Amino acid sequence: MLKVIAGVVAGIAATLALVWSMAGSLAFNEQESPYTVEETVARIQHNIQDTGNGWSLMGLRNPIKPLQAAGDDALPAMMIEACSNKYSGPILKDDNVRFLSILMPCKISIYKKSNGKVYIGTMNAGLIGSLFGTTVGDIMKNVVADQQKFLVMDPNKPAPAIILPKTGGEGGSGGGSAGGC
Amino acid sequence: MTVTKPLLTAFLLAATIALAPAWATTQAPPAKKTTADHAKFKELQRNFASGPEVTKACLSCHTEAADQVQHTKHWTWEYTDAKSGKKLGKRAIINNYCTTTISNEKDCMACHAGYGWKDSNFDFTVKENVDCLVCHDSTGTYRKLPGDAGHPVYERKEFPKGSGKFVDPVDLQKVAQKVAMPSRANCGACHFFGAGGDGTKHGDLDSALKTPSKALDVHMDATGLNFSCVKCHQTSGHEVAGSRYAMAAAVTGHARVRGAQDDQPASCPSCHGDKPHHENALLMERLNAHTDKLACQTCHIPEYARDGIGTEKSWDWSTATKMGPEGKPVLIKDSAGRRAFDSKKGNFAWDSYLVPEYRWFNGQVSYITVGDKIDPSGIVEINHPEGKVNDPASRIWPFKIHRGKQAYDAENNILAVTHTAGEDETALWANFDWQKAITAGMKTAGLSYSGKYGFVSTEMSWPITHMVAPKDAALQCAQCHGAESRLAGIDGIYLPAVHGSRLIDLLGWLAVAAALVGVLIHGFTRFCFFCNKNKTPENPQ
Repeated sequence: MLKVIAGVVAGIAATLALVWSMAGSLAFNEQESPYTVEETVARIQHNIQDTGNGWSLMGLRNPIKPLQAAGDDALPAMMIEACSNKYSGPILKDDNVRFLSILMPCKISIYKKSNGKVYIGTMNAGLIGSLFGTTVGDIMKNVVADQQKFLVMDPNKPAPAIILPKTGGEGGSGGGSAGGC
Repeated sequence: MTVTKPLLTAFLLAATIALAPAWATTQAPPAKKTTADHAKFKELQRNFASGPEVTKACLSCHTEAADQVQHTKHWTWEYTDAKSGKKLGKRAIINNYCTTTISNEKDCMACHAGYGWKDSNFDFTVKENVDCLVCHDSTGTYRKLPGDAGHPVYERKEFPKGSGKFVDPVDLQKVAQKVAMPSRANCGACHFFGAGGDGTKHGDLDSALKTPSKALDVHMDATGLNFSCVKCHQTSGHEVAGSRYAMAAAVTGHARVRGAQDDQPASCPSCHGDKPHHENALLMERLNAHTDKLACQTCHIPEYARDGIGTEKSWDWSTATKMGPEGKPVLIKDSAGRRAFDSKKGNFAWDSYLVPEYRWFNGQVSYITVGDKIDPSGIVEINHPEGKVNDPASRIWPFKIHRGKQAYDAENNILAVTHTAGEDETALWANFDWQKAITAGMKTAGLSYSGKYGFVSTEMSWPITHMVAPKDAALQCAQCHGAESRLAGIDGIYLPAVHGSRLIDLLGWLAVAAALVGVLIHGFTRFCFFCNKNKTPENPQ
């Protein structure tokens, strides 16, 4: 009997260890982009604007700037912030899940690695949504579907210009558009 | 206790004294005091109508300066390669950007250290035509524009034409009275803006180096060492050392006093020696062992164009002359606001923070010059860095490889000399007619032209040597000795963790297996021995 209990405990421990080691990669996605950092940013920005469903750009941040201001540097990285009032509204109105506003606005990170390649980092909204009940889970399913549209790159389309925030500027709060959350 | 306190005080005092120079280097160095105020010289206290007038005044004191300059590449734009005997320099080579100066002198000579070179009739012996101010202006107001054959701006003019932007005339008297030793801005006025734009050509030189951070360049760091260009490119009699035409790719030996004991002052080992690492014993030995194969730049410039300016990766001339939807020339920018297409020039690709490509390099570069035969069936190497494994003069160097397409004579198989700049009937940028432009350019160059042109893929190599990063940003072991090794394309060397040798792998695994078998045999023997030892007459089992 003792052997059975020990086996179950060991199995649970092994499973937890596996989940723990994979949690990071499950929570976030990373994919390579064939374009430069700037062109990737611009293409995603325009895709977001074209997606509808209440999506709008909230800001564009450059997390490297504070490093540069301090005399340091790192490979380029830019962060697009976008929000959909259609999806954010129900979450923001529900006291039980309002704390999820911490995940707003949605962020997409575009960065270069030391191998010279450009990558797009996104949060696994589907997985995270499924942890917080049906309402949030259903909303996040829609977010995932839209997020996939953001990342479709059509090489036949010419490179668009980066959309810079109209007010607020990089590193500050949003204000790129009137919509969003 | 009574002994400890003075000891601690002494230690702190000694540490303070020892570290003082290090702290001092974080402060901007004081401006150098000059022994002459040129504003007080009567020769310079008058209005100057032209650049040559200023030079005449300069030469009244600096009697040998013009003669010295006229013997340098900055004046002749010509260099004879000692090994091949081939004539090189901007007058002879075709590059991968604007291609050639021939027939385009009026524009190109905005970067000539002289006045009036507008065609092949330029007189190289006239001393007043040496431009002193382009290198010695300290006001930052001295400007020479394309189209003026090397003269500064004398009258307010719109530049670029049709842009609505205007450039004011240079106050020559003010500039002449404020001359100084060349700063990074002086050299950068041409070398940062080569090929028609900031950062376009070299990849490791752009205007961010006017006031760089330590992260961009440890030596030029504006708040630290603050090296000017001539700190490394030491100058004697106006001859600037350290040309790309005559490089030493592998300087060995101890650190030297630059300029005194070393005829190649523009190299890392000139100051750092060839055993530059002083970390812990094991690491030091490993890192220093790399210096007989790797150039310092390979590890210490992990990426080039490390700023928002970036550099041009490719220039495709084959799309030039294509017009916009309304049949007019168009200029299209990329997502970062850099030039992506120009009806005059074709397509461009730009990026920043670029990973270099690596080549064996012994300092010798073979060039295709005007009139040389090419093989259009493949990629034409405009220049080829020589070097190979086991050559003591060779090291693995980082390069910017600029790729493109440019026009060539499709029957004679030579690169075309194209008359691009100018506003005359035959200039490509005025009439958008390749046939006329090539015909005019080839005629000026004295080359026969078949009348048939095509476009050939080209590439040009630029050794990377500026933008040296702080040591904590140098390449890590795994960036070469790993799955995505930067040196995977380098031949002739065995890279641990990259190059698999079946024989060595087999020998290794055999050794592992032999060790395992040995352990098992040993264990089994011990076990048997233990069992035998426990046998007694009472218990024979």
